[in-house]
Amino acid sequence: MNRHSSMLPSAALGWLLSGFLILLLPQWDRLPVWLLVCCLLLAAWRWLAQQGRVRLPGRWLKLAVMGSLIAGYIATVSGHFSVDTAASFFVLAVGLKWLETRTSRDFFVLFFILVYLAAVNFLFRQDIGWTLVTLAGVVVLLVSLQLLHTPNTLRNPARGLWRLGGMMLKTLPVVLALFVFFPRMAPLWSVPLVSGEARTGLSDSITPGDISSLAQSSERVFRVSFGGEMPAHRERYWRGLILDRFDGHTWSQWQEAPPARLGRVDLDAGIIDLAPDQYDVLMEASGQRWVYALDNSRAVSANVSEVPGELFRLQRPADTSVRYRMALEEADRGPDSLLPSERRRYLQLPPQGNDRSRELARQLADTTPSDLAFTRAVLERFRQQPYFYTLRPPTMPDDPVDTLLFEAKRGFCAHYASATAFLLRSAGIPARIVAGYQGGSAGADEAYLIVRQYDAHAWVEAWIDGRGWLRLDPTAAIAPDRIESGLREAVAEEGSFLQEDWTSPQRYGDVAVVQWLSLQMDRINYNWQRWVVGYQGQSQLDLMSRLPGNIGLKELGYLTAGLVGLALLVAALVTALRHGRGRSDDPVDALMARWVRALQGPDEELPAGMTPGQLATATAQRAPSAARLAQAFARDLNNHYYGPGSRRWKSSRRRPPEYRLMQRRLAALRRELRRSTRNRRTAKSRKGAFRRLARSRNPS
Amino acid sequence: MPSIPELIRQRWQTWVNRRIPRDDRRHLDRRSIFILPTGAGAVFGLLLVIMLLTGINYQNSLIYLLTFLLGALLVAAMHQTHNNLSGLDVAMLKPGEGFAGDTIVFPVRLQGAHEAPAIDLSHGDGAVTTLSLAGQDLVDGSIAVPSHERGFLLPDRVRVETRFPFGLLVAWSWLRPATAAIVYPRPITPPELPDVADNGEQVEAERSRQGQDQVELRPWREGDISARVNWKRYSRNGDMVVADWQAEQGSPQWLDFDGFPGVDHELRLSYLTALVLERYQARDTWGLRLPGLILEPDQGEHHRGECLRALATWRKQPPLTEKGA
Repeated sequence: MNRHSSMLPSAALGWLLSGFLILLLPQWDRLPVWLLVCCLLLAAWRWLAQQGRVRLPGRWLKLAVMGSLIAGYIATVSGHFSVDTAASFFVLAVGLKWLETRTSRDFFVLFFILVYLAAVNFLFRQDIGWTLVTLAGVVVLLVSLQLLHTPNTLRNPARGLWRLGGMMLKTLPVVLALFVFFPRMAPLWSVPLVSGEARTGLSDSITPGDISSLAQSSERVFRVSFGGEMPAHRERYWRGLILDRFDGHTWSQWQEAPPARLGRVDLDAGIIDLAPDQYDVLMEASGQRWVYALDNSRAVSANVSEVPGELFRLQRPADTSVRYRMALEEADRGPDSLLPSERRRYLQLPPQGNDRSRELARQLADTTPSDLAFTRAVLERFRQQPYFYTLRPPTMPDDPVDTLLFEAKRGFCAHYASATAFLLRSAGIPARIVAGYQGGSAGADEAYLIVRQYDAHAWVEAWIDGRGWLRLDPTAAIAPDRIESGLREAVAEEGSFLQEDWTSPQRYGDVAVVQWLSLQMDRINYNWQRWVVGYQGQSQLDLMSRLPGNIGLKELGYLTAGLVGLALLVAALVTALRHGRGRSDDPVDALMARWVRALQGPDEELPAGMTPGQLATATAQRAPSAARLAQAFARDLNNHYYGPGSRRWKSSRRRPPEYRLMQRRLAALRRELRRSTRNRRTAKSRKGAFRRLARSRNPS
Repeated sequence: MPSIPELIRQRWQTWVNRRIPRDDRRHLDRRSIFILPTGAGAVFGLLLVIMLLTGINYQNSLIYLLTFLLGALLVAAMHQTHNNLSGLDVAMLKPGEGFAGDTIVFPVRLQGAHEAPAIDLSHGDGAVTTLSLAGQDLVDGSIAVPSHERGFLLPDRVRVETRFPFGLLVAWSWLRPATAAIVYPRPITPPELPDVADNGEQVEAERSRQGQDQVELRPWREGDISARVNWKRYSRNGDMVVADWQAEQGSPQWLDFDGFPGVDHELRLSYLTALVLERYQARDTWGLRLPGLILEPDQGEHHRGECLRALATWRKQPPLTEKGA
């Protein structure tokens, strides 16, 4: 490798740099800005040095640059180490390596790091667009490697791409077969992925006085396929978590979530056909353990488990997208009574504050005969009095429930849910706030459901003795549109739907083309995520179970090995066949071989690899009469092989006249050789006869 | 006693030699092409294993996919690298000639029915010649082999290798040339006579003392080497006079091996070489007498070549006694 060390070809370096830039793209919003800028600057430095405009740094400058960047990195990370930060450091290392790319060995090192960077990209980005970008980056890297190993005259990126494409096309069947059959083993050890990175999404507390930003995000939360009919919009309450502790301002979870233990990556949900009562949820990475389910669901896939409150949790935080499967059940009535501890918990209120609300609850309780009637009265009040649903409520710093109910009368779901739960608890009815999503919009062809962040919702569940937990949604009473058809319609007059998100296609839902395009894109991505990205252990076993034979992981291993062996064998055969053809390409080779055979009698061997000239000499010794002929033929051969216009003739083409001449000359040569051999034999036998005669005459 | 690696190396050498007969031209086919991953290729394999582990641990299908893609590509590259060499015809053309100590040029011709970029030809640790075939064509190059002594020079093996396209694999074969180059002795100017006379008597005395005919002094002309100039006389009166070495030899026309009694044989050949060159340059006529070989007096390019070859190969065996081995 040292022999190429003089200077790296610009073309190869340029492509390698482009590969680096392409592979940085998928990480642009994950990396700190300064790191991205530094990487770009370092790459630019290397490129300018290649152009001869600047010099690569000397040892001290390089050390200084490295030192300061690494110090900056450590300061940014400040002790949080995870795969996420490790990936950032990886990018930084690549950036720094640019300053040290002089030999082809360095080039290889960078190539390897960048290939691994592509793999790291897949940890964070798995949708089809970014996958294609990353694969494009890898292709560019491979082209750069080809350019490094091609001499100047033939250095042509298009040719390299073409060659690479051919190689990929040829190996594609094997790659696909490997992808399907390679046994998806369980993870070998636990791996942390992403640190507590801030993501948009539901939080585990609601402060109604604060402005919710979730309604302004059109980010996807999850997508659902139903085995049977899709439930109506107003039935689609996706329960996520229960907020049951109120401190006067904020609703939060009573029990702190147990610290998330880093487990192995979750198993996937499998790909067996959905039963009519089942639904399959593909949830985007949330960094949380909670998942969303409709009322009366039960877990089907092994990666989710039920926790108290009819909620479901993952085994470990969803740091990549997760697919799980649920089934709907007949509504059961649940436990007939609350435990005293639970009743206490669901009646908890701060000792004071919001006095007017407490007073209102007392009045209502006096006038209603039952708990159920009380809940109806509360909803009736919301329906009849001028309460408004708005995404731009006033802030309510003091006594938020009082402010909402008696003064502002403007708010969104969290405000009304909070007020309702407060009223219920004040009247001695156990109540809790449920946070989750409500509704969701249909994907392309209504094949599945897309739930976005702006579908986030909060409602109330009240405990009615004899009926169990009952869902109460004050928002439905105030703004039926929100529940019947979604946020867009609910705030249509206000015009506040996604008003801060200019780039979201959902914002332009009324433009048919935009809507159609975005839905088609989403469908492609959904199928990609379900069938390709989500093709994991359970999916593989499900697929294999459809094939005849009982195929387990071990059988898959054998199958894969056999497959690779078969592919190699086929490749070897193809090569061998091609060679078999290639050997007899030149008909002149055959002529020369015939000459050698003619010279080689049964009793004498010729050394292999004689030149035509040597053969001519040998022929002349054997048959002096053929000397001139042999020389002429040797000259023909030499001309053919080494002559100025020498080209190898293809056996398929029409033979040129020279070939005819050579054939005739060879035929004459062989005739001469045969004759001389015959002569020699007769001469030998004559000599023998003479000797015998002499002996007989001379009896001694 | 040879060490075990040495023994293995010898075995391997014999095996290769049996497989690849000595010949000036060879059609490279799969019987004689060897292929192994380069250092970078080994690291790449390791990288694939690490990527597979990453894929398994994060249950990441896309990393699986990338790993399989690159793995398959490595296998495809194996074929590509192999095919780059196979089907090529490598031929050594008539080797160049030169003086001992020079670098002798062995012209090589590469011919093939397909495009074959970046074919490296090398001998020993010598410099590498990179040739590239673009399509159905032929390309000429040369290998430089340093020579150390006169005689026949035959590189034992010429390595033909390629790392194309990715440099992750190296495919190679050997060519074992059959035609040796001829290396002439290094020309060494015979020492000046102790004191070349500047007057007749001294010349006479010199001649009788050394038993030589005469030293001819003649005016300097184009092509004379400076060592031959009688600088003493030049410094005295500015005449450029050259001592002609005809005189040292037995007769004006003959360059004689026996003309340097007591001198080492190889050195004598070197002296004679220098004299042949000088005669040739002076467009003189000369003959060459070596023990067992006489070249009649003649002149010109052809004669010069004959003499040099005779000097080069005197008492040297052609190296191809084990032909076909």
